[in-house]
Amino acid sequence: MSQVASMRGAKRLTPIRRVINAEAGSVPLPFALDPLPFRAAEPPGTQTLPQIDVEEKLKTAFTRGWSVIVWNDPVNLMDYVVYVFKTVLKMNEKDASKHMWEVHQKGKSMVARETREKSELLVHRLRSFGLNATMEQEPA
Amino acid sequence: MTSEQIEPGHWRLGFTEPETEFVLSTLARLARQYQDDPGKMPPALRAYWQGIISSKPGEPSAEVRELQDDLAEARTELRSERLALIENWMREFELAEEREPWHVELTTTERDEFIAMLNDRRMALALELSITEEDMEADLAQIPNDGRRAAILEIDVLGHFILVMLGPQIYRGQ
Repeated sequence: MSQVASMRGAKRLTPIRRVINAEAGSVPLPFALDPLPFRAAEPPGTQTLPQIDVEEKLKTAFTRGWSVIVWNDPVNLMDYVVYVFKTVLKMNEKDASKHMWEVHQKGKSMVARETREKSELLVHRLRSFGLNATMEQEPA
Repeated sequence: MTSEQIEPGHWRLGFTEPETEFVLSTLARLARQYQDDPGKMPPALRAYWQGIISSKPGEPSAEVRELQDDLAEARTELRSERLALIENWMREFELAEEREPWHVELTTTERDEFIAMLNDRRMALALELSITEEDMEADLAQIPNDGRRAAILEIDVLGHFILVMLGPQIYRGQ
């Protein structure tokens, strides 16, 4: 949570820097632009994340490259798993049954491919119903 | 046990006296588990209550560690919320004028939580005693250990309650 807050702070600064850099690149200015005033305005102890790091984090957070996987276990009932897939993943009966059987027979099933945020929410919800769910980032 | 939809979004569950006793005892045990510190539990139970976000072996990345912390935090909050629900239901039972059968009315959201909580108990029992698929399919009389047999029976009975609440469903597409 705290990292999200600092990401937001850093994001607000980024466009301002971009405008200044763009101006500096297109029109020769009679003075040198110094980024120091921005740093001086930060409260003591605040750490500015590198711009690339922030953009990378935002990109990975909102790219639909995360798989949600449900794993087999010896206790959850088949009907119950179908019900959970329908309730949490909004699957229809046919898809929910198909994924349930995949979990049962193959040991796991990829039930969603979403952004990091959405996948995280789905894992939390599936786990709140007692299903063994994980999320994995797909290779770039 | 009976389960009927009394109006859209509202359910009425009914329990005979032995069923009530069984459910209340399950809820009391669950309440203790929701209060226990997962850090002091055996690894399998700890993993269940804290949750595992990624199955990838090896050292997790900073991003995965952050996701893991969020999941553990969310699961701690969930345990507190479920504990509060149990306390409410216990209070309702204490105040109920008629307990044979005992009826409780729930919204669909509360009913879903009740189902998930009964399943929590099933999962916790199985993890505590390392119950396998073979155990679940075995003839109860063939299981020599009394504690293990009682746990499997409890898992089965709670499973029956869950199926009563879900209503008749047919899974297709094998």
